[in-house]
Amino acid sequence: MITFERVTKRYADGTVAVDALDLEVPAGKTMVLVGPSGCGKTTSLRMINRLVEPTEGRILVDGRDALRQDPVKLRRGIGYVIQQTGLFPHRTIEDNVATVPLLLGARRAAARGRARELLELVGLDPALGRRYPRQLSGGQQQRVGVARALAADPPVLLMDEPFSAVDPVVRASLQDELIRLQTELRKTVVLVTHDVEEAIKVGDQVALYRPHGTLAQVGEPEDLLGAPADDYVRDFVGFDRGIRRLSFFGTGDLDLDTSPVLAGDATVADAVSTGAPWVLVTADGGRPTGWVPRHRLDAAGSATALRDLAADHCEHTFTAGTDSLRAALDAAVLSPAGQAVAVDGAGKTAGVLGYEQIRAAIAARAADGARGKDR
Amino acid sequence: MDWSWIPSNSGQILQLTGENAYLGIVPALIGLVIALPLGIAAARWNWFYPPTLTVLNIIYAIPSLALFIALIPAFGLTDTNVVIALTLYSLCVITPNVVAGLRAVPAAARQAATAMGYGPARRLLTVELPLAVPVIIAGLRVAVVSGISLASIGQLIGVSQLGYLFIDGLQRSFPTEVYVGLVLIIALAIVCDLLLVGVRRILTPWEAR
Ligand SMILES: Nc1ncnc2c1ncn2[C@@H]1O[C@H](COP(=O)(O)OP(=O)(O)OP(=O)(O)O)[C@@H](O)[C@H]1O
Ligand SMILES: [Mg+2]
Repeated sequence: MITFERVTKRYADGTVAVDALDLEVPAGKTMVLVGPSGCGKTTSLRMINRLVEPTEGRILVDGRDALRQDPVKLRRGIGYVIQQTGLFPHRTIEDNVATVPLLLGARRAAARGRARELLELVGLDPALGRRYPRQLSGGQQQRVGVARALAADPPVLLMDEPFSAVDPVVRASLQDELIRLQTELRKTVVLVTHDVEEAIKVGDQVALYRPHGTLAQVGEPEDLLGAPADDYVRDFVGFDRGIRRLSFFGTGDLDLDTSPVLAGDATVADAVSTGAPWVLVTADGGRPTGWVPRHRLDAAGSATALRDLAADHCEHTFTAGTDSLRAALDAAVLSPAGQAVAVDGAGKTAGVLGYEQIRAAIAARAADGARGKDR
Repeated sequence: MDWSWIPSNSGQILQLTGENAYLGIVPALIGLVIALPLGIAAARWNWFYPPTLTVLNIIYAIPSLALFIALIPAFGLTDTNVVIALTLYSLCVITPNVVAGLRAVPAAARQAATAMGYGPARRLLTVELPLAVPVIIAGLRVAVVSGISLASIGQLIGVSQLGYLFIDGLQRSFPTEVYVGLVLIIALAIVCDLLLVGVRRILTPWEAR
């Protein structure tokens, strides 16, 4: 656990970067610090490992006052990842990752073996270990930076915009990787970003800063989206916060409509009898193959098998129970029929969902969320 | 050009070349040894660099002959005299490169080292200096090459090396000697330079080729 107690940082030129900050980072959780440029996120982060010394206040790392510890020892127990990676250009990837274990007195062979394990852990081919940093892509270097920070298995990990120097696709995969690692490793992570989307995605908790180093709101991502404390927070989390909030709504108990779902060997007559404006045709015992509109049914002979009709695509599906309502809404928007196709874990059709049902599900969950707050 | 002069004087030519190499290389190496702490201090304490640089530039501005003469009262007409003078010049060339090399160490690498628990000394020795090696060696190359060529002026105070061939050739109106001296000095400079490039390659396997 990391605790800030009324921590203030005033730089030599008088700039107050952090102003009487109180913040608690629970052990084993990811706390994201987010806010506009210059609001004091990096300063807050660096005070934890004393790259910056606080002017006032106390910072406790696992209950011990960081300011009363030898900074060198303190730092060896805190992993640090930065945007520019800070990899040592003159050392191989393996030796970069082995840095802290070697500092702590590990034998070189053991440290290198551990380095290769860590490279695998962060999704890199251990064979890359023999290369130098400049021979890796930006995304690979970022992963090495994470591996290096984890090498001595520190309980605390500090990350300053670790993923902002890579393209959106790589960034998303690095974020997924971090979430996966966290479920395994349960480090106390403090991550700085200016990207709300990233904060909401990877944070167990989000601390949103105002300019000049004070906090606007601290809470779970859902709280910031669902119950912004004021207009500043509302503006910061963005105009589509309503849509983003749907990411936190599950799809486990939806009323799925199975009536317009028919197997490929059903006939046009069967399809017409459902009365549905669109029918979803399936094959192989349930895999959705396409949507057929009513007018196309009317134009075909009533004994024709559905599989012989031209069908519109149904490639955007969502997995009921695993995906969020946001994915369900997305699937509905992208569907020619205006209905989302729900599949189960095996890819078989579980049913379809129209806008009206999605709207009802959102309303029900929003009400649950609000009641949850009151309790 | 009298080619036959070369084999009949090969012993002397070889000795002069050896002396010239000594006068080129040794001062540069001593200069390096002094420049390292000086450059490290200048890179660490910003206020220290401008006065250091001014002093070095003033030394560098002293004509070499004047410097040799100025050192005569203390060291006489000796090798030592030339070595000291050339050491001072190499110091002027190498120190700024030590500072530039250390300042060019990526700030992120330095910060990461600190954040991982490197103390200042360990960080300097294992991160900053290794990363500064290419720039430092670039300075050393200039020091060695210019030392090899500057050494010939030592002839004027009677310290022998390839410069002897210029003076002797001039006095005897014998151009062959001058040409041989010139070619050997250039060849010596190129060989030393290539050696240093080799050393840099060995010391910096991480650099792009
Ligand atoms: N060494 C320093 N000396 C003086 N002022 C500084 C120093 N470092 C940061 N500041 C100032 O402190 C404030 C907070 O800086 P900080 O780097 O913590 O912001 P940040 O939230 O990380 O911003 P960004 O998102 O742009 O990285 C800024 O106004 C900055 O100019
Ligand atoms: Mg910052």
